[in-house]
Amino acid sequence: MANESNETVNVTINGVAAAVPRGARIIEAAEQLGIGIAHYCYHPGLSAPAMCRMCLVEVEGAPKLAPACVTPVAEGQVINTESERARAARTGTLEFYLLNHPLDCPICDKSGECKLQDFTHAEGRPHGRSVEPKRVLGLDDFGGDILYQGNRCIMCTRCVRFMREIAGADLLGVVQRGHRSAIDTFFETGLEGSLWAGNIVDICPVGALLSKDFLHKARVWDLDNTPSVCPNCAQGCNVRLDTRDNLVVRIRPRLNPAVNSYWMCDYGRHQYEWLNQPDRVQTPMQRGAEGELVPVGWQEVLPALLARLQQRHGPLVVLGSPMLGNEDNGLLARLAGRLGGGTLRYRSAQAEAEVPCPGFPALARRRELTANGRGLELLGFQRTGTMAGEGGLTDLAGATVIVLGDALEDQPADFAAGVELLVVLGQRPTAAARSAHYLLPVCTCAEQEGTFPNVHGLVQRFWPALQPPPLARPAWQVLSVLLAGLDDGAPVNSAGGAFLRLGELYPEYAGLSYEQLGSRGALINEPVVRPAGKGA
Amino acid sequence: MAEERTPLQGGNPGWAGETGEYGHLTEADVRGTTYVGKRPPEGTSPGASCSYPYQVGGGRPDAPLFEGPYRERLDKILSRYPNRQGALLPVLALAQEIRGHLSPESMAEVAAALGLAPAYVRGVATFYTMYHKRPVGEHLVQVCTNVACNLCGADEVLRAFLAATGTEPGQISADGQYTVIEAECLGACGFPTAVQVNDRYFENVSPEAVPAILERLAQEAAARSSAAARQGS
Amino acid sequence: MAYPYRDEREVRILSAHFGDPEARTLAGWRQRGGYEALGQALALSPEQVTEIVKNSALRGRGGAGFPTGLKWSFLRNDGRPHYVLVNSDESEPGAFKDRELCRWTPHQLLEGALINAYAIRAQHVYIYMRGEFFEPAQIVARAIDEAYAAGIAGPDVLGSGVTIDVTLHLGAGAYICGEETALMNSLEGRRGQPRVKPPFPAVFGAFGQPTNINNVETLCTVPHIIRNGADWWRSIGTDKSTGTKLFNMSGHLVRRGNFEFPLGFNMKELIYDVCGGIRDGRSLKAVIPGGSSVPMLAAHELDIPCAYERVATAGSKLGTASMIVMDDRTDIVKQVRRMVEFYAHESCGQCTPCREGTAWLARIMRRIEAGQGTEADLALLVDLGKNMTGTTICVLSDSAAAPVLSSLAKFKDEYLALIGRAAPVAAAV
Ligand SMILES: Cc1cc2nc3c(=O)[nH]c(=O)nc-3n(C[C@H](O)[C@H](O)[C@H](O)COP(=O)(O)O)c2cc1C
Ligand code: SF4
Ligand code: SF4
Ligand code: SF4
Ligand code: FES
Ligand code: FES
Repeated sequence: MANESNETVNVTINGVAAAVPRGARIIEAAEQLGIGIAHYCYHPGLSAPAMCRMCLVEVEGAPKLAPACVTPVAEGQVINTESERARAARTGTLEFYLLNHPLDCPICDKSGECKLQDFTHAEGRPHGRSVEPKRVLGLDDFGGDILYQGNRCIMCTRCVRFMREIAGADLLGVVQRGHRSAIDTFFETGLEGSLWAGNIVDICPVGALLSKDFLHKARVWDLDNTPSVCPNCAQGCNVRLDTRDNLVVRIRPRLNPAVNSYWMCDYGRHQYEWLNQPDRVQTPMQRGAEGELVPVGWQEVLPALLARLQQRHGPLVVLGSPMLGNEDNGLLARLAGRLGGGTLRYRSAQAEAEVPCPGFPALARRRELTANGRGLELLGFQRTGTMAGEGGLTDLAGATVIVLGDALEDQPADFAAGVELLVVLGQRPTAAARSAHYLLPVCTCAEQEGTFPNVHGLVQRFWPALQPPPLARPAWQVLSVLLAGLDDGAPVNSAGGAFLRLGELYPEYAGLSYEQLGSRGALINEPVVRPAGKGA
Repeated sequence: MAEERTPLQGGNPGWAGETGEYGHLTEADVRGTTYVGKRPPEGTSPGASCSYPYQVGGGRPDAPLFEGPYRERLDKILSRYPNRQGALLPVLALAQEIRGHLSPESMAEVAAALGLAPAYVRGVATFYTMYHKRPVGEHLVQVCTNVACNLCGADEVLRAFLAATGTEPGQISADGQYTVIEAECLGACGFPTAVQVNDRYFENVSPEAVPAILERLAQEAAARSSAAARQGS
Repeated sequence: MAYPYRDEREVRILSAHFGDPEARTLAGWRQRGGYEALGQALALSPEQVTEIVKNSALRGRGGAGFPTGLKWSFLRNDGRPHYVLVNSDESEPGAFKDRELCRWTPHQLLEGALINAYAIRAQHVYIYMRGEFFEPAQIVARAIDEAYAAGIAGPDVLGSGVTIDVTLHLGAGAYICGEETALMNSLEGRRGQPRVKPPFPAVFGAFGQPTNINNVETLCTVPHIIRNGADWWRSIGTDKSTGTKLFNMSGHLVRRGNFEFPLGFNMKELIYDVCGGIRDGRSLKAVIPGGSSVPMLAAHELDIPCAYERVATAGSKLGTASMIVMDDRTDIVKQVRRMVEFYAHESCGQCTPCREGTAWLARIMRRIEAGQGTEADLALLVDLGKNMTGTTICVLSDSAAAPVLSSLAKFKDEYLALIGRAAPVAAAV
């Protein structure tokens, strides 16, 4: 583990001299110099058993090759990862890996992101020399989402160590010994009990651990991946959205040492279908003469809407979206203010309890099961409705209601009856949404840029992974046009610009910019206490 | 190759190996049984230094674990280690002594008794060959076929045991009495072929000695069961 | 007197009471001078005891021959709990000396272990004995009970105020647990997998505490060294290999068993004179001089002194001085196959070169033995053996390769004969 102090030692790796942190291990020091060292068992988030023997490097003066994953750097050390001996050891060891490996890459989900493939292509022998039959183990269902294809397992024990050290549940073990070793659970007891088990599929260097959900769904080279933030709870795990044919097919964690390390929870991992909504509001619509919804262009609908908003009589109620970014909700709150103020609310699902990750306590699946509940509270929205994120919308008679993002799934088809004006900036044309006077197609968080502040007030950016329907727009864009119509600045043309406008009204965001947030986020300023349910 | 074997110089009654120039020694002298004394059937040595398991047949798969004298032995074991995990090997052995083999249920109970995860216990139990994951015969006959014994005809000894018990390696004989397996070096290489039957070694075993050994085991078993019957009545 | 045969040339120190059931008991052992050395040691400082052992130049008898006193001196007086582990896992094919020491002289072992504990300030001795040694275990357990009852072990060792507990711990069937760090894991209730070193046991050993581990035979010599002095021990044996050693003689010998000789005793003499030469009037083909893990020697290579440094010069290792002697009828390929199968069975499986390599070697060897090998297989064996050497956490992997490499170097014709046999069969099919 790298030392906290600033002390450094001088080493030479492959002829490159450098000062590296004292206490760092050779593999980490090399990484800093951009020198990759092949490895299987080492994972920076786990303990290092030095058992795969792939990372052996030549240290001048040492009689034996040293495992780079555990050997600490020392002053004056001269390390060579490419010496004759080091290369020969890797090639020799790789042959042992392939001895019993089925080489069924064409049907293996890991193909394309498999470390055995990578290192074998790089340094393996062109032809295996074994004529012996390969060991055959069956496919084992580990319970939950996980399958074990023992034939492919290279016994690196990353999965076992993860379950023990991070998931805090010794549900996996190595059974038997020597060449009869395999990974197994306790007989019929599977991995269901753990909220974190899905991570073992990510860290398995080969295709031995498979996600049932992802099984044969896509070849990884056909996937696009976009850095994002998990929208499924207030933790805000950094993730990558893997997409294909404009659908999210998998969510995987992305390293953020402060938030989620290399990990994420299974709840968040598997809640992605809602990002793939086939049934979308396709065009802006407004009520026609007969009371029916009529498609209409953006150019026409916004001025019309603006006029209606300015003529309203009753109170204003605004429903924010905990699944959309600060930019959208911030401009929504600003619009409410500009329209003379109103009640700001949101609805969100909540869990009974927090589920902390035992081996990385900074990470927990939070009670708040949306990404932006915290952000909405900061913006002055007040939570309403049940733990399931339903109800709480009974006192709207005579009001003008602007709904952002909330699909109103639980609401009846005559939701708009009794309200003065219902404006929905939404994604799905549910019955209640279709009762709106204005129904405007906006993007989901997977289709646009934006930010979420997490439970600790760390504001993190997400990026667009999917194409929205052609006429859908980011809500911030729509809202900024409306605001411009109310003489509140010029329309913004970027999410970053919308974010800067937050800072104008909310001191928590003052001085922050997208550049500053970068890919790891930044903390908001000390929150200001403001009356709940009122805009700034 | 069996034709011209140098006979044993110290004689071998088929129990504890060649006594060479120490022909006056009795079996009890060599095995140390007089010194060791008799252990109570469910107990251990009087001292607190350890609790080693019996390696005898007669386990009952449905017997309760860790009750009565076995509870005491468990506590004694626990008192010898700085943490509960340290007691895992001896406690697994104790469970096997009681039940005859380590079923998944037994592993889970041991795990619970020591506060360990069942999957962890399974990983440990399957690492070691002396924990039986399946039932074995009343007499587990382990024939060393490793090099020092092998040079001296261990393969033939193994075949003789298999033939005499009518079993394949690892099988339980029809009468439930025997399981014969091939073993790795038993640390008695100077006394080939070394054979372990439950907790006793038989050394310098030749194929010809096999019937006599089995006969003796049968007699001892009969004596044990009639003693048990006497006690029961 | 070594057991079950004796020889006038022997120098009997450790084995003086083999075959003598009286010597097992505490009373009998005391009559024979037992526990005097422990009393002498307790009158010295721990450092002085270590110094004596250091000066004796005693080398570990567990196989590696590491200087024992030096090992003891690595432990710091740091107030942490220290442990002494007695390695009684003896599972290496050919080795059968520790079992004799345990079953004939359990108090000799206890005395050595207690002196070791005092010297490194350990409060607890664990005797890790392989689980198969049930009979020796009973004897050692009885001896421990006697020692506790007599105040030799426990809270106030011989009235010195020093506490040393002794626990007998039985293994459960795994050769690898003889490797010192695997033994520690096993003792701690884990899978018996060797640990990566550093950290070394003197810093991070059993239960994470500073620990010394020695072989049974090593510790059995300690009381004699304390009693008779380092110079006395050094006067026996050679400069670099001091004292006596139990030679475990097995295989096709007329007289098999343990014999105790000063290190440096001639190997040929040992085999031909002491052990009476080869049985059934046959001649000698090969000797494995130090347990199955060391390279074989051919008949013409045996005229060497049995000292660590001299056997090394001859291209093998003295190891545990466990000599497996093979006569001219021996099927070398079969015996090497059997040894390789042993290593495949005993590999703990952590390191890929060992886990996969041992099993692969075994399969190739089986094929060759069955007449299905090719010349390419021989080259492959050599290459795999090299790839398995020096690339793993412990040396079991190297050990598995050793018999293959050395037999291929010295008895290649036996392999070729089997391959030659294969050709016509293959052609006929
Ligand atoms: C695979 C393997 C097996 C070993 N088995 C034993 C053994 O059974 N008994 C033993 O004393 N040492 C054994 N050793 C050596 C121990 O690791 C260690 O060196 C020894 O116990 C140290 O004691 P010593 O210094 O008294 O020799 C083994 C080593 C290896 C690599
Ligand atoms: S299943 Fe994967 S992670 Fe687990 S040991 Fe096997 S290869 Fe490693
Ligand atoms: S903890 Fe929360 S943010 Fe992280 S993956 Fe789970 S649901 Fe998503
Ligand atoms: S070399 Fe073999 S026995 Fe030793 S640690 Fe590695 S796998 Fe285990
Ligand atoms: S990465 Fe270093 S040994 Fe596996
Ligand atoms: S080889 Fe059979 S006991 Fe050692």
